[in-house]
Amino acid sequence: MRKFNKLLKVTVCLLLCISLQIRLKAQQTVVDSSVLDRIAELEKQAADRKPGQDHFMVVGLATFGFVANKTTITGSGVTKTNSLADADHYEFSPMLLWRHGTKFLLEFEPSFDGNQIGVNWANISWFATPGLIVHAGYFVLPFGSYNKRLAAGWIDKLPTDPAGVADLPPASDFGIGISGGFPLGSMKWSYDISLTNGFQLLPDGEIQNAGIVDNNKNKTLTGRFSLLPFSNSSLEIGVSGLFGKVGDDNTAFQNVKTNMYAVDVNYVKLLNPILVNFKGQYNWIDIDKQTYMDASSNPYTFDNKTNSGFAQLSLRPSGSANKVVKNLEAAFRIGNYNTPKASLWGQNATITEFGLLYWLNWRTVFKVGYTLNNSNSTTLGSEGIGTKSNSFIAQFSIQL
Amino acid sequence: MKKISIRHIATVALSILCMIAVLVTVNGCTVSQKVAMKSGAQLWAENCQRCHNTPSPNTFSHDQWETIGMHMQTRALLNEEEKRKIVEFLKQ
Repeated sequence: MRKFNKLLKVTVCLLLCISLQIRLKAQQTVVDSSVLDRIAELEKQAADRKPGQDHFMVVGLATFGFVANKTTITGSGVTKTNSLADADHYEFSPMLLWRHGTKFLLEFEPSFDGNQIGVNWANISWFATPGLIVHAGYFVLPFGSYNKRLAAGWIDKLPTDPAGVADLPPASDFGIGISGGFPLGSMKWSYDISLTNGFQLLPDGEIQNAGIVDNNKNKTLTGRFSLLPFSNSSLEIGVSGLFGKVGDDNTAFQNVKTNMYAVDVNYVKLLNPILVNFKGQYNWIDIDKQTYMDASSNPYTFDNKTNSGFAQLSLRPSGSANKVVKNLEAAFRIGNYNTPKASLWGQNATITEFGLLYWLNWRTVFKVGYTLNNSNSTTLGSEGIGTKSNSFIAQFSIQL
Repeated sequence: MKKISIRHIATVALSILCMIAVLVTVNGCTVSQKVAMKSGAQLWAENCQRCHNTPSPNTFSHDQWETIGMHMQTRALLNEEEKRKIVEFLKQ
């Protein structure tokens, strides 16, 4: 009887083992089948997926700051203001980039400056051949280097734009253009030429964008040529010219033309541990001499010549081993802005700016700056009135 | 009126001459061996910092770098080989 019980136990154990083995095997088969099905599904998805030719993305920038200003005008006293942002130091500009294959790119940047929503550029570029990009639409004019390359808040080393450079002549215009860059031995050069509607002469001798409907039959030719003489691209020298009529058709101003010239220089070099960054631009604007009418309809005239420029130096110890120190940058800029004497908007201004930056990452920066603007009026009837303006600015800027 | 037409034609002619000069120059431009041997990383370091800090390759996807490469070509007027090498480096 004991033998029988023992035999029965062994038999039951054997049966259990066999049963378990069969069960495990079945599960294994189920798992394998599921994995294989999943792999097959993924393979199908990979085979079905087409990379496509188009790509759309949104980048852009945002700038926000605080400005405290004290302005003293000779004979008029002192005014003090402060605000958490103003039109010069606040900007929210998403930029839409839409690539069609490798030949076409659409660029569109609307911008809100606290007062209104404008458009910085809206153009299409055709990458025709190496060294030839054809663009059309509303684009930044190739006059100097500041507006096209350095004006963005996360690029500009100081919280303000250099007076008379960022907005004169107007930055963007409607038209067509060509551009490209080439090697030249160990050097490089580039060209950027455009034909646009141009500008419109206002009754006081200032100019503004003519807009999408031209004010005359003449088109404005703008061009910039640049040379990078060193093989490490550390130095770039650019020369620009802008030529066109600005007067409205069928008016006394219809033959008035403007000639503008600019030179710009850019030098960036790591002199370990300091990254030295020098930038400068100078603009000359000459509009044909005309007779204008003041508010009392009395004629007056002046040489309509404006010049403006800046020189900027910034130093960053980017080669430092200290994490905080390497993200600091000190900047200094001096600018000059002279509008026509005896006009209704004449002034000679010198602008000095100091800034300290802290880079949170390569495209995010916090800046504090101090700006001194000393100007003397050369306006008809207000000659000699001096204005001193001091501003403290704190600004955060990010590229997204 | 006749004077305006002549100026108009002169402007257009000058533009066409500029285009022709550019196209002729394309074939005449050569690159030194020293420059041709530069890697994408070196070109990235040299060219991006002319205007802004050098971007981290991890910032954008492959497709995005292709698009941004074209955008930067319109801004900084990089030549074709520079753009290709820099974008390839940033996609790694």
